[in-house]
Amino acid sequence: MQKETIIPESKDIAFRDLIIKTPGGKNIPTCMQCGVCAGSCPVSHEMDYTPRQIVRMIQLGLKKEVLNSNTIWICTTCFSCSVRCPRGIYPTELMETLKPIAMKEGIKNRNTKFDKIFADVVKKNGRASEFLLISKYSISEPGMIKQVPFGLELMSKGKLPLSIDKMDDLRELDSIFGLGEKTGIQEKTQSKEKPPEIKENDSDSQEAEK
Amino acid sequence: MAEIEKPQVNETSAKTEPAPKKIGVYLCRCGGNISDVVDLQSVAESLKGENVIVNIQDYLCSSAGQDKIKSDIEKGKIDRVVIGSCSPKLHLETFRGMVKKAGANPTLLEITNIREQASWVHDKEGKESVNSKVKGLIKGAVARMGSIEPLVPLEKKLVNRTLVVGGGIAGITTALEIADGHEVILIEKQPYIGGHMIGLSKTFPTMDCSQCILTPKMVAVHNHPGITMHTQTEVAQVKGSPGDYSITLKHSPRYVDIKKCISCGACTRKCPAGAIFLPFAQAVPQAYIIDMSKCSGCGACVKICPRDAVNLDAKEETSTISVGAVAIATGFEPIDPSFIEEYNYPAPNLLTAVEFEDMLSAKSKTGMRLQKADGSFPERVAFVLCAGSRDFTGKGRKHCSKVCCIYSQKQAQLVKKMKAEAQAWIFYIDMRSAGRRFEEFYHHTQEKGVNYVRGKVAEIIPKQDGTLMVQYEDTNLGRKGREIFDMVVLCPALIPSAGTKELADKLGVPLGDDGFIEEKHVKLDPVNTLNQAVFAAGCVLGPKDIHDSVTEGMSAAHKVSQFLGKGMILIPPEKPMILECNGCGDCVKACPYNALSLSGGKAVLSPLACTGCGICVPACPIKGIEIRNFTRSQLKAQLKAMLEDAPGVVVFIDPYAYAAADIAGVNRKQYSSLVRFISLPSIHVLDADVVNAAFEYGATGVMLIEGTTDEKLNSRSDDLYKKLKKETRKHKKPLRYSHIETAQYEKLTDLLNVFASQAGAKAEKRSRKEKGEETPEEKE
Repeated sequence: MQKETIIPESKDIAFRDLIIKTPGGKNIPTCMQCGVCAGSCPVSHEMDYTPRQIVRMIQLGLKKEVLNSNTIWICTTCFSCSVRCPRGIYPTELMETLKPIAMKEGIKNRNTKFDKIFADVVKKNGRASEFLLISKYSISEPGMIKQVPFGLELMSKGKLPLSIDKMDDLRELDSIFGLGEKTGIQEKTQSKEKPPEIKENDSDSQEAEK
Repeated sequence: MAEIEKPQVNETSAKTEPAPKKIGVYLCRCGGNISDVVDLQSVAESLKGENVIVNIQDYLCSSAGQDKIKSDIEKGKIDRVVIGSCSPKLHLETFRGMVKKAGANPTLLEITNIREQASWVHDKEGKESVNSKVKGLIKGAVARMGSIEPLVPLEKKLVNRTLVVGGGIAGITTALEIADGHEVILIEKQPYIGGHMIGLSKTFPTMDCSQCILTPKMVAVHNHPGITMHTQTEVAQVKGSPGDYSITLKHSPRYVDIKKCISCGACTRKCPAGAIFLPFAQAVPQAYIIDMSKCSGCGACVKICPRDAVNLDAKEETSTISVGAVAIATGFEPIDPSFIEEYNYPAPNLLTAVEFEDMLSAKSKTGMRLQKADGSFPERVAFVLCAGSRDFTGKGRKHCSKVCCIYSQKQAQLVKKMKAEAQAWIFYIDMRSAGRRFEEFYHHTQEKGVNYVRGKVAEIIPKQDGTLMVQYEDTNLGRKGREIFDMVVLCPALIPSAGTKELADKLGVPLGDDGFIEEKHVKLDPVNTLNQAVFAAGCVLGPKDIHDSVTEGMSAAHKVSQFLGKGMILIPPEKPMILECNGCGDCVKACPYNALSLSGGKAVLSPLACTGCGICVPACPIKGIEIRNFTRSQLKAQLKAMLEDAPGVVVFIDPYAYAAADIAGVNRKQYSSLVRFISLPSIHVLDADVVNAAFEYGATGVMLIEGTTDEKLNSRSDDLYKKLKKETRKHKKPLRYSHIETAQYEKLTDLLNVFASQAGAKAEKRSRKEKGEETPEEKE
């Protein structure tokens, strides 16, 4: 998308504060823009913004651009960035946080469409069907028409079966989906860190209870 | 040791009729630092019934604030002072000096810390609870002030000799600067002095050669009549007290007598194994050394030596010295970057900056040539900054190593100087060139054609052919990049040299959480430590360049000279008084410092050997010993007043752990406002009397927090804790002991929070139980 001038109106501080409270977001204010995340990322060259830039935009509250970026959908969750970040930021978890927010905000682009169709197919059948996925996605994304000959070729070799493999009982899956929809994006309510050790030399935590 | 004993305060003074005491309470707003959180007016009002004068000032440490106290004393309105302000570490001496001038006894002024221990650490809690805490603290302090006696510090003669530990540029400077006025013993762990600096090539920003400027100083140290130099020497043991240390040194064998060796080199030429050598021509001391891992023991060197200097049977030796002051200049070492997995260190042509310097320095093994593993010149060299620095994940170090930005540019310039067509790349996060002449140096390096990339290197992959692939993001472009280099130089985090902690522990000097020595005051006392007889200079206080190390060496030397120049040291007068004695000798056995002895069937104290730890207090079976101004009744008075209005958690804390609480305050680490510290010279003063009193007066829990690294004390803490636990069991309230060194302030606050909430929960449970079912409670 078109990059915009950063002006006060483009900043959404509430968005920034929300993201900081999610898992992996705590250390966002301490990012020093070293770029080790983007340097480590196997797919950052495909992204319109590198993970480092996404973190910077969150610091500024550039909600619109963050949620419209393809970065969050391209992330392969390999965790290289999270392992190497010297400031303890977890860009991987961040991407997972941003996806449902983009969905909820009704962001429409090929990435959100694809994800939505994929989820719908799984929800309905309990399993992924490549045929359903590709055909549904092709209808909503006109550019895919060019891929039809390739699809036919795949089909002719039996690589794209038409039959749909459906789960017998979808109730348990439904409950999982229901849970996901209900919880949605959650703020980090409890510290992830372990509670401090009280055991001190001869300490007495059990003894004290007596 | 010449001991000068001042007449002690009359033994019976604690028992005489108390004269009416005129106490003034002075509270400091600290320009909002305190008053924004604490309602000082309400604190003042809460003291109405106390018969004290209360005054509130904007800045008590200012001359206006001090003058107010001074004039109140001079007018005879008050003769004892309680101050509510910042940590006593900052201004206690200032205020006591002022009080002394005004004609009052300095020990009758005490500071209650309501900034680092209240307004800075409880500002997220409700104002009500912080106010209630401060009121309690001040009331406790007033009660204490009413109960203590005026004391006069004792004087002890200083030993006019200094030990300088570390023979790098900081230690050399310190030694030379002291030696014109006072005797110096300089020890160095390595076989030769010169430290890291002698291993450098050129020095920034002037590009003059390191050995050219350092060797004259090394020779001066060697020749100075006031300096005794020992190489291959470490501190093994420290005994005595500030101003009068007896230190045992451990000397590793060199197998060549330094005094006899004339460095003719006959031995090196004869040695079949290459085991005897002089590492570089300018080495000081000018004496050969044998690498025993290579020596076959053939004895050729022994036979050839014209001076009989070689002794293959030399053994490790020890010696004992007596010094009044110690200057620590043990410097830094580079972190081993192999923990950074993605950098794949070590690998061929992947060096640290120290290894790069070595190649081009006086110590060079390549004839001062920069070369790859195969001997050829590297055409493309990358410098990778912040390897292990600026890392907050716990894998690396948090601090910036300060010198890497500039020395990597110097190294890049050297590469370009050796071959103009060669490429030098610097991968940096922030180019930090603050300091005189450094921005110009940066600019000059840019002009030389060095390529700068803003981005932390993500991966270094060694290739089969000896080249290295570097992957990074050029953050200025937002684009990922890959480059192949012939040589990659890592700029590792600089950390305190190995053994810093052990040495600091022996000298009773606390370290910061970064492992460097904690200054007495970060800004105003930068080369003093929390031990008045121990000073520090150079990189042991944090990474720095030669200029700053020299400056600190000179400062430390000045401070040492000033300290020794007084000839006397004042020692705290809070010592044991023996009120009653049946001659059982239990206290003599208990004292870890041999300060007590039996004479004529009674225990006698030698106050200069005594550290005031108070172990003798609970040791006395007839409760005949008390520490002056920390007597049972004085502590109880303080506890009673402190807990009168609101219950809290009482935390008895020693000076080292107190310093941790101060650091927590400076870092604004929040903890429960139920916590009430009582500062003690050591927790070993306590016995069940005092702890039981704390519970009776309403403490919901009691903690003993000890920070001392003195093994003579903390090896006994376990027993003390178990004994107290047993003897205070009847209260069924939590009691805990914890060892927290100065650097562990985060552990301290975590612990305080957990304990305060546990104590609170327990108290609640108990009160519910008392209300509900009362009968079974009485038993047990």
